[in-house]
Amino acid sequence: MKKLSVSSEVQGSAGKSSEASFPTLAIVPCENHEDLAGVLSRLRAATPSLLPASLPRKVVIKPNLCDLVSWEAGVTTDPAWLPLLAGELRAIRPDVQIVVIESDAVSAYKNSRSCDETYDRLGYREVAAQHGIELVNLTNSESIEISLEGIPQSVVISQLFLEEFYFISIANLKVHPYERMTAILKNSLGLLTEADISSLHPYLSLMLSHLHRLCPPDLCIVDGRIGLEGQGPIIGDPVRMNSIIFANDALAADVAACKLMMIPPEEVPHLRKVAVDLGREFPDIELPAGIQPRSFAFNTPSHDAILVKFANRRLHRSSELFTNRWIDRLQRFKREPVKFVTEGIPRLARRLHAR
Amino acid sequence: MPDRIRIGFVGVGPVVERYHLRAVRGVPEVQPTVVVDINEERARLFAQRQGIPVYTTRLQDLFGKVDLAIIALPNGLHASISCELLSKGVHVLCEKPMARNVPECRAMIEAAQHGGAQLCIGHNRRFRNNFSLAKRLMEKGIFGEVTAIEAEEGSTADWPRSPAYFDPVQAGGGALIDVGIHSIDLIRWLAGEFSDVEYQGDGTPTTVESEAQLQFRMANRAEGKLLASRMRNLRQRIRITGSEGYLEIGLWGDNLRLRSNKGKAFQQFPYLDAYVSRRPPQDASFVLQLNNLVNAIRGKEKVLVDWAEGMAAVEVVARAYGHAAQLQALPAEFSGGTR
Repeated sequence: MKKLSVSSEVQGSAGKSSEASFPTLAIVPCENHEDLAGVLSRLRAATPSLLPASLPRKVVIKPNLCDLVSWEAGVTTDPAWLPLLAGELRAIRPDVQIVVIESDAVSAYKNSRSCDETYDRLGYREVAAQHGIELVNLTNSESIEISLEGIPQSVVISQLFLEEFYFISIANLKVHPYERMTAILKNSLGLLTEADISSLHPYLSLMLSHLHRLCPPDLCIVDGRIGLEGQGPIIGDPVRMNSIIFANDALAADVAACKLMMIPPEEVPHLRKVAVDLGREFPDIELPAGIQPRSFAFNTPSHDAILVKFANRRLHRSSELFTNRWIDRLQRFKREPVKFVTEGIPRLARRLHAR
Repeated sequence: MPDRIRIGFVGVGPVVERYHLRAVRGVPEVQPTVVVDINEERARLFAQRQGIPVYTTRLQDLFGKVDLAIIALPNGLHASISCELLSKGVHVLCEKPMARNVPECRAMIEAAQHGGAQLCIGHNRRFRNNFSLAKRLMEKGIFGEVTAIEAEEGSTADWPRSPAYFDPVQAGGGALIDVGIHSIDLIRWLAGEFSDVEYQGDGTPTTVESEAQLQFRMANRAEGKLLASRMRNLRQRIRITGSEGYLEIGLWGDNLRLRSNKGKAFQQFPYLDAYVSRRPPQDASFVLQLNNLVNAIRGKEKVLVDWAEGMAAVEVVARAYGHAAQLQALPAEFSGGTR
């Protein structure tokens, strides 16, 4: 097992490689969750090799926007990363084109979630407009169907991957019901343009290994300020972990994430597969002083839990419909109050009469 | 124009049986109404089997009964028959090659302009999924500047051909004008115009060539080689190499292999195989080709392979053979076999 040494240059918290060819990794503490700029400046000072010296024309950022849940719940990526990274990247190349990518998804409640809606409601649209960042919904982008070895069906990816770009993957620190944990490598699943990828689940590890080869991240950020334990990857309890992993290698980043969650990487099927396919061993990572790992609670859903999940799903759906209906009424009333009342009262009277 | 465009088949050989008939069945806006063939029994059987009301051996019987004619005859008859139909306002889908030489092509164009009819040349492969995708990728420029082109198509035997195919006067050439012209059209479509061509073939003044090799240079200085054969099984592909990658496109299948040197996906994958055969499940290029012509007749879109495209491919072949003027023009009478 290769050992990834840990430096104590920055408050005893940054780790980096001892060999030039070896993955570079830094784990930076972040007690103050608002201070991402401070985290980046400490990273720049301690491990400058993690940040690129030069950039191609295009930089692609892949956050984890798997559901309509705020980043404080430990489920999605904080949009605050965008302006920070944009500033950092434009300092290296002023004319860099920054693109954020994500696909439509199927939510925890099996509703199809448009990625554009996610961009809107999680604040990405606003931040992107302010900082000249392009948001791309891969599901609507020009795609290409490819065949990948061992996958029985064709796989649809965006034609973007045929182009040259610097790739930043920002993931969260989360448990996962089938895979034990999810971070950078699992974040790649959102590179597929089709929203419902449940048919690929039997080939998940192989698919993730292929996706890692198709689009290996140049910079991996596992935002572990708030992790997610419980069932995952969108249901569970947020946990303050107060640390952020930076790496130039997805496998190293994920193994470090495992270390923080105290999950043996050998128990994570897709990590095993990627390591085998890359012909590598898991790096042995020592956490720097001051970084406290935590054994993440992991709830494999029982039969009862699945029944509750379905009941929740129905409740969520009906409550969403109910709420939307009243929001719609309120907006119509605000827009044309007289018309709303004059049309609404007879309609209400008819309904009451019918009852 | 009636709701459904009336179609006449001029020549009902294997290419119509295998491809055009299926295309006609796949386009609801058209209705086959007349069959013309020099062989009356063949015309009768075809019409009877396909439920087409009229069959005849006389081209004149077509006028007034059809809006569009599909011409699948030996090459030497393409120009004369097309001119007769086009000048009377009948739209024409003419099998490739457009004609045996450039003057014949020009006559067809004049007839089309005089009759106000659409003329589409049957370079159907442009409508195949892999070539459509290749075109879109080429337009994006992800393979850089084209530097080299290789094309190969050939097989020992594919289908029954009439004797007219082996007659230099009637066919206008051998493997190059018959097989190689597909690649010539596709190379032009994907990579631009040919500038210099150098031809080698095993033909004689009395026999057409069964093997042809074309070495060429494109207008952008890219160099290339085309092999066409009726004697050997070749790799049936076009490979376009660019300064930033390459494309390999199957001429007979739906395969498309690509690489873009700087592309993110190719840092670890040497190439990607695009998957283009699922939708539609089988080769629908003839259906799409006919659909394109029908839409053009209705003024909804332009003909993808129009007379200019058809003539440009013939012009490359004629330059290769270097004997465009030597071919004798066939009389306009409907005489000869079918494709």
